[in-house]
Amino acid sequence: MATESETLQRSGRFQYAEIRGKAFEAILIAATLVGLVALILLFGFMFFDAFGPLSASLEWYLLFFSTLVAPVSAFTLYCRRNPAARTANARASAAVFGGLVLSLAAYIVLRAMSPYGPLVYLITVSSMPLSVAVYGRYTENSYFVGPAMVLAMLLAIVWTFGSEVLLFPLLDAVFGLGNDLLGGVPVLGSVPVPVGRGLLVTAIAVGVPTLALANSVLRRRTSRAGILAVFAVLGLSAAGTAGLDQLIRPILEVLPIWSAYAGVIGLPVTGILALLITRQRGMRAGITAVVAVVGGGLAVVAIASAVSMDPSLWVVLFFGMGVPTAYVVGEAVISDRDGRVGVAGPFVILGGILVGAYLERLLSVTGPDSWVTPTLLTNSWNGLTATEAGAYPSIVGSIMIVSFMALMAFPVGVGAAIYLEEYAPDTGWKGRLTNLVELNIANLAGVPSVVYGLLGLALFQNLLNFAPGLVFSAAATLGFLILPIVIVSAQEALKAVPDSLREASYGMGASRWQTIRSVVLPEAVPGILTGTILALGRAIGETAPLIIIAVPTTTFTTPGGLFSSGAAVPLRIFSASANFAPEYRKGVVAALAIVLLVLMLTMNAIAIVIRNRYQQ
Amino acid sequence: MSEPDQETQAGSTDETGNSSLIETHVTSDTSVDTQGENPTSVVETRNLSVYYDEEQALDDVNLDIYEQEVTAIIGPSGCGKSTFLRCINRMNDLVEAATIEGELRFRGTDIYGDNVDPVALRRQIGMVFQHPNPFPKSIYDNVAYGLRVQDETVTDEIVETALKRAALWEEVKDQLHTSALDLSGGQQQRLCIARAIAVNPDVLLMDEPASALDPIATSKIEDLIEDLTSEYTVIIVTHNMQQAARISDRTAVFLTGGELVEFDHTTTIFENPADDRVEDYITGKFG
Repeated sequence: MATESETLQRSGRFQYAEIRGKAFEAILIAATLVGLVALILLFGFMFFDAFGPLSASLEWYLLFFSTLVAPVSAFTLYCRRNPAARTANARASAAVFGGLVLSLAAYIVLRAMSPYGPLVYLITVSSMPLSVAVYGRYTENSYFVGPAMVLAMLLAIVWTFGSEVLLFPLLDAVFGLGNDLLGGVPVLGSVPVPVGRGLLVTAIAVGVPTLALANSVLRRRTSRAGILAVFAVLGLSAAGTAGLDQLIRPILEVLPIWSAYAGVIGLPVTGILALLITRQRGMRAGITAVVAVVGGGLAVVAIASAVSMDPSLWVVLFFGMGVPTAYVVGEAVISDRDGRVGVAGPFVILGGILVGAYLERLLSVTGPDSWVTPTLLTNSWNGLTATEAGAYPSIVGSIMIVSFMALMAFPVGVGAAIYLEEYAPDTGWKGRLTNLVELNIANLAGVPSVVYGLLGLALFQNLLNFAPGLVFSAAATLGFLILPIVIVSAQEALKAVPDSLREASYGMGASRWQTIRSVVLPEAVPGILTGTILALGRAIGETAPLIIIAVPTTTFTTPGGLFSSGAAVPLRIFSASANFAPEYRKGVVAALAIVLLVLMLTMNAIAIVIRNRYQQ
Repeated sequence: MSEPDQETQAGSTDETGNSSLIETHVTSDTSVDTQGENPTSVVETRNLSVYYDEEQALDDVNLDIYEQEVTAIIGPSGCGKSTFLRCINRMNDLVEAATIEGELRFRGTDIYGDNVDPVALRRQIGMVFQHPNPFPKSIYDNVAYGLRVQDETVTDEIVETALKRAALWEEVKDQLHTSALDLSGGQQQRLCIARAIAVNPDVLLMDEPASALDPIATSKIEDLIEDLTSEYTVIIVTHNMQQAARISDRTAVFLTGGELVEFDHTTTIFENPADDRVEDYITGKFG
């Protein structure tokens, strides 16, 4: 007995093993601490340089804590005990702050590009698929609606964006030929070429859908109202598509500019809201909501005009932030008995900020000597006076570049990933080819960004003779850069969908496409979005490729569209860091870095919100 | 059964009339119609062999599955039971390494013929898997999935009938629109059966449907399978010999190497097997 109990005591070999284990644990803790401390130091320095918190007076801190920190902490504590309120709080915060940031981003981009162009594109690009959807409601065989909507959208995109490049030169050539050959015919000769091509495109755009519709109506009797609605929408779409620069634009440009903003932001928001409410509470509630939203928008315009302000920004904020907030808050108050208090969360924060700012001015308290000021956000660059320096064109440029980049890279990347995971063969020489392609894509994810810059330079400037530093070239170059990351992460997400689900779907007699669309993709969306978050985060901070393709570091005007000279916040930081005056290198650079981080975090937050919705 | 037969319309020769005349070498030494019935065979295999790359999984299998019966397929692990089952609805097509030789006829049509669409075939041959695999959708959408992918109209009645037939309706009728993943394992498996029978298939394949379930859930599934034979032909793979003895009309015994050793009425297999190896396997000497 004595020998047995001795072996259980801490001594000899066991003690050594225990010490070794403890030492290993201590090393791991040290590694974690080193990483944390390095990050805290980095962000701490940046934060101090950007906001200058030491220069604020004690009173300011008192004010700060009493108006903002204390109420927000109290509310957070309350929400921790009530999970329903926490959910409602998260939803309301997403609506308020997401809506605010997105509205502001949309507003400044639209202002840079002039909202009339996007409004025309919105009408033309969306009306064709919408008309197909409406048509699908009135036919029995509606299986074609999905593909037809995609096709119509692609057609409309090609038609509107590509018409200048693809269609009109062709039509001009045809009309020119017609004029040469039939110059004597007075009717044709007197038609100016733009009007002629407009007429021809209109004939195609109205004629083809009308013929298709007439064909199906003749075969099956449908209700007269339905047919009329389809004709109206088709006619509108055709007019929009055809008369891109002949018909709609001059009419629209007569309208006040706020109505263009209201159209671009308000139409989709109102449409989504109407769909949501109609689905939940029926047609009557949906119509009421639309009437309320439109009335609210007009009221905002009336009030803004009455106090002689430009209503544009307020209209954008109303539709982009006010309507989603009202929807979330309304839904919580009506149906969420336990969590309805939670929707107050964002308003506690907003109210705290407003009251704090008001009291700060009223009591003339000395605040921190911050570099993150309205001047920085709204001015253009000033290289001589640091307090006058602003990064507005760069912020607009960054938002434009990153959104167009995401629009280009996301469908291509996810599409490639779906092909490689779900369709590409695994065995034989084709399988080896697939493996080779996958290996290369994985390697491309690690290629230095400078190399992608050279690719963009070679492709856009040397080969296609584009002007240097266009928004389009920058977006496409960064798109190439993140494409492998998007593909690899989407592939991982698709791989994580269990095969048993695919088998279940095939076993039910689903085709491969049905399996992918209704089983695999919904399961993979959260994973795909997680990968995309990482890719977007990498792209927004990229500097080297933009330098290579000669995006200007200093601009004084915002980019006017896809094919005008771009600008980007990381380039702004890069060039500001070379300024001779120390306040640029310390304060302005740090403040710009904060702006960049906020841009990145906003995008991540949007992606996380979408991801969480899909995971429910 | 007045099930419309898509495969025969696809242009292959109709050999249903001859099928009962062809006796396999396994069934020839016992009289098939001991119970005085004259069953029609739904699925017939002739010299069916399956290889995964170089490895042989099924060796020259000749087997007839009869209408409205439960046919159990038993055998030790790796004997090709599941492979055989997956040949019947061409799920092995999803395994690129698999090559199939010989003939497999479903109601007279060689399903590995050129004109046969595996998707159309799977619409007539439903399948239930070893582990419950409901889609991460609502219960209603799970049952409606087959109808939707087959472009058929989904009505609440069809969903209700399928759930009732799968003996699940009473338990889930108040939560049709909650996630199917919230159900227990046994309920999930019955949902998978409801999902499979909602599209009214001809044959139902079951790959060890109760192996991941507890005894109570298992007995519910077994009762259900017996009820289903009034309308469906059921082929069930199981490693549980008692289960095969309880629920099946006929039993096929596969042994290692993918060889079909014996196929006969279940009572014969369990009481008086012809092959010594089957007796050894059934009495638990190996496997």
